[in-house]
Amino acid sequence: MSNCRHRSISQMLSGNVQWADNVQQTNPNFFPESAGRAQSPHTLWIGCGDSRVPETVITGTRPGDIFVNRNVGNQVQFNDENLMATLTFAVDQLGVRNVIVCGHTGCGAITASFRASKTVIPGRTPITLDVYSADSPLNRFLAPLTTSIANLVPNLQISSVVEAEAIPVLIRENVKVQVDNLCETEVIQNAWRTRPVGEELTVYGWLYDVGTGRIQDMEISRGPESLPKPRVFSTEKIML
Amino acid sequence: MSQYASLRAQFFEGDIRTKSSPDEPTDPIAEMLSGNAQWAKAVTESDPDFFPTTARAQYPHTLWIGCGDSRVPETVITGAKPGDIFVKRNIGNQARHDDESLMATLTFAVEVLVIICGHSGCGAVAASLAASRRETVPGQDPIITIEGFPADSPLNLWLAPLTIFIGSLGLSSTPHEEALPVAVRENIIAQVNSVCETEVIQNAWRRKILPNITVHGWVYDLETGRIQDLGISRGPGSLPAGKDSA
Repeated sequence: MSNCRHRSISQMLSGNVQWADNVQQTNPNFFPESAGRAQSPHTLWIGCGDSRVPETVITGTRPGDIFVNRNVGNQVQFNDENLMATLTFAVDQLGVRNVIVCGHTGCGAITASFRASKTVIPGRTPITLDVYSADSPLNRFLAPLTTSIANLVPNLQISSVVEAEAIPVLIRENVKVQVDNLCETEVIQNAWRTRPVGEELTVYGWLYDVGTGRIQDMEISRGPESLPKPRVFSTEKIML
Repeated sequence: MSQYASLRAQFFEGDIRTKSSPDEPTDPIAEMLSGNAQWAKAVTESDPDFFPTTARAQYPHTLWIGCGDSRVPETVITGAKPGDIFVKRNIGNQARHDDESLMATLTFAVEVLVIICGHSGCGAVAASLAASRRETVPGQDPIITIEGFPADSPLNLWLAPLTIFIGSLGLSSTPHEEALPVAVRENIIAQVNSVCETEVIQNAWRRKILPNITVHGWVYDLETGRIQDLGISRGPGSLPAGKDSA
């Protein structure tokens, strides 16, 4: 079956032709230059796979600006080899100056995790979507999110019954949690420790509102000043 | 031309058209936030229903498994709109069965169309190609694809299977510039087959849930901005795409 055709396939391929032709006409150097040198994006974007949040479109940037890792629920999990590899590559090899975790309203992962959080038993791996087995990749991937939400709901006194109230709060809290996770990684800490002045790396938490198309900077940005300050001992204590 | 299409023409290509020197924005964060404000305003003015409608739910027609390379933003290069394409991007557009993130995405978001899109000049493939020529005994020595990082660093752990795979292609005596496009293409074919072998897809085909799921392999040429369909699309009952595919 080598010629499967579907209307959307045709649309995307002809959309590509149109786009490439338009770029070619208005800026004939764009593609050759972009191809001819290594990419030098300024930003790593860790976002959700949700179809409504295409980073390059919503930020009005160009191909070449943003290196991208998108997953379900814009998560930074320490045992996610793919995410950690991306982080290493983007920060250490590409030298990005900014790492942005971007959550969004109407996130299906957060909604699913919220609904399941009520059934979480402390110490047991939660099942987020019960149509799938506990050890299915989706439930394993969402387990940390569901567990985190189960903790957040009582601690933040979020309504556990009114979704419309709880979900927006949890979407924002999730961004904060993922920013925290990111800042704990060796890659980020090392960049903060070693990058010269003028080339510092900053981590941002953003929220995209799918209902308005607007990004909000949650103002939880962190840079090298976040590193724990070295403790200073007075000399009297050292001398014995 | 629909409202959105004309807006698309103005904005998505317009950004490239109207950006002027200096090439490097001095404050990329501020530029992205103001770029967002401009874009959202223009969309709303052109089609006031666009955001409220898409906010209600997403109905993407495609799951895109692509590379994180900054030069391959799927929605831009296909002229699609927000809402069309659910996206998983990782280094080297890999679809591994042991990658929980990928498998979670496939389960969560499998659509009627699944597209694996690789691209010319893929750094992951290039690095793996170069490393595969250095590895004398694949599988017996720790694979270090990116020199300067230990074998157990996440980046090298991630690239090890790709290096082993490319090492199996018989390209060791082909000059790098000729071998790279072959490796890019073979990687895409392998990922298409890998996706088709997942339980998610096999179950869908067997049980006739989303029976029309087709999996496609595309390659994006950075030099021209053009996508090529590799013609290796697979649907229910299809055989693995191989080196002999057209």
